[in-house]
Amino acid sequence: MEPLSRFFHRRSEKALADAPLQASIARATGKFLGARAEAVAAFPGFEAARDEGSRIKRETLDRLDVHLARFIAEAEKRGAVVHVARDGAEACEIAARVAKEEGVALAVKSKSMLAEEIGLNEALQSAGVDVVEADLGEYLVQLAGEPPSHILAPAVHMARERVARLFEKKLGEPYTDRIPDLIGIARRRLREKFLAAGMGITGANFLCADTGSVVLVTNEGNGRMGTILPRVHLVVAGIEKVIPRLADLPVLLRLLTRSATGQSISSYVSVLTGGRRPEDPEGPERLHVILVDNGRTGILQGKYRDILKCIRCGACLNVCPVYQSVGGHAYGWVYSGPMGSVLTPLFAGLAEGAPLANASTLCGACADVCPVKIPLPELLLELRADEREQGLKDPAEVLGMKGYAALMGRAGILEALERFIGVISQVLFKDGKTPWLPFRFSGWTDRRDFPAPSPQPFRKLWKKQRGIHP
Amino acid sequence: MTPADRKEELIRRIAVALRGRDGANPAPAFKEDREGTSGEADRIARFREMLESEGGNYLAGPSLDPMLPALGEALRLSGVAALFFPPGDDGARLVAETLVPFGPFTLVSLDEVRRPFAPPSAGIQTAEFAIAETGTIVQTGREGKTLLPGLLADVHVALLSPAVFVDRMEECLDALSGDPPRNISFITGPSRTGDIEQTIVIGAHGPKKLIAVLLP
Repeated sequence: MEPLSRFFHRRSEKALADAPLQASIARATGKFLGARAEAVAAFPGFEAARDEGSRIKRETLDRLDVHLARFIAEAEKRGAVVHVARDGAEACEIAARVAKEEGVALAVKSKSMLAEEIGLNEALQSAGVDVVEADLGEYLVQLAGEPPSHILAPAVHMARERVARLFEKKLGEPYTDRIPDLIGIARRRLREKFLAAGMGITGANFLCADTGSVVLVTNEGNGRMGTILPRVHLVVAGIEKVIPRLADLPVLLRLLTRSATGQSISSYVSVLTGGRRPEDPEGPERLHVILVDNGRTGILQGKYRDILKCIRCGACLNVCPVYQSVGGHAYGWVYSGPMGSVLTPLFAGLAEGAPLANASTLCGACADVCPVKIPLPELLLELRADEREQGLKDPAEVLGMKGYAALMGRAGILEALERFIGVISQVLFKDGKTPWLPFRFSGWTDRRDFPAPSPQPFRKLWKKQRGIHP
Repeated sequence: MTPADRKEELIRRIAVALRGRDGANPAPAFKEDREGTSGEADRIARFREMLESEGGNYLAGPSLDPMLPALGEALRLSGVAALFFPPGDDGARLVAETLVPFGPFTLVSLDEVRRPFAPPSAGIQTAEFAIAETGTIVQTGREGKTLLPGLLADVHVALLSPAVFVDRMEECLDALSGDPPRNISFITGPSRTGDIEQTIVIGAHGPKKLIAVLLP
């Protein structure tokens, strides 16, 4: 998927003007937030679990070479075939080769953000493999030919009527907008695919180094179908998904499911280890795992290491006032919300992704809910600083900021200026509002009320309130 | 580059990325904050509460016979026509066979269930663990066990005995992590989705109903 994050502002404006989209986003984020809050309140150990989860993920990243080597060794010992890919193109090449060697024509796929990141579907399809998305939301967006708009609920932007028309048009099903009937249609259609597919493709929520196990968490059961019925299971996972021990899994699950959907556990958690054994009556004959770097070692090296702790729960999306306003598509690439605003510039480059890092009030709500305590606002600030250092900022903005800094460092001039503006404002600005500002500042006045400057400078008010008399 | 070289090269690249950073802090010892383990009756009560809050059903009785009419009716109401159980699971076979007249149901094989357009079925299987914390049933592929009853059936009937209850997932993983079976499945309630308008609908891909049956 070609990133379009540089057009964030234009895409946001479109999203803000789209009333049905606004309603869908509000409904989804509201439900997710409510469910999360309830689940967290009902689990007194949540804060302790956050500390523990954060520590486990950070500890793993700090020795990722050791843990990843162990994962590879243990997985291979138990019969998995492990591949490594330096970038997305290489990962796609390996996946296409696996499909060809295994003689696969039809694959069922469970939701994977990494697969979106590397464009796996397109690659496999152009290699002649029919890939059917099996997560219901992903199935909907695949039928509609759209990218997912939320990492948990990919079709969050689609109302039931749209789904009904989509099934009518693409599947030839009679129109119904009863949600259970729509789900029933998808269940029936996808069950046929599960039984016929030669390969199941999944991501991984976690990779356990000590046992070489792949962990998958789903509610629908698509992850289980695709990893038990087809004769080949292909896993694509980022190298940061490793955790040291299978014993670390429970605490991370407690965090993940509560943060994601407000459940104490998802309906299905599968721990998959190695290939089929002689005594197994079913299950894939072969398990292939493609470990994908695609820029992750670069992130590991620098000051953004903490973003690789992300367990993709989506809590930061739901709580973010920016995501709540514009939804996932406005971000222009695979990852949205605060985690996406950090990941996109790192993966796609600052020239592409910097608008996302700048589109934040740094309110900190994301850091408050992050189950593994990623300091998201700090990382966004770092990205802005990098943008400046790399000379990507608008020179006028840099100049303006320099002037502002100089002014703030000179108390006398600042106060004189404040008094001057105060006097003028009483003459020019009525209703306590600034009517307009010139270009570059007009965003402050075009669509919102910008208060008129105070007649009295702040410093004077401050002194007065504190009882300090000059 | 051979595949082995490529793996080594990735590990080396990561090691280089980590070098000289604040990465090499020795990790503090792993601490577990396990709550005290509880008694059997308490575990079963908490399991039931969690299972039911996740949309699962629970049946218990002094013996199998008095439970059969209720179980049969629950299956009939779910539209079940056929029953299947894994070969070698004697408990499940007994339940399935004695349940036949309460439908009436037919007994089908695993192969029949795998076919497209199989009749609506209930898969009956003895569960390996039941986790009180989350109301979770655990099935594994250990010793050649099948996972199809909890996968392809319309109704999943999990048979439990008091001995399979544990407090937390940790205990279950402890017991399995030495040589983990190919598949460990933690199953909590029926299959569900919220993908259309965040409205929860039961029965996305997996069973539409999960019935846990506690046998003495």
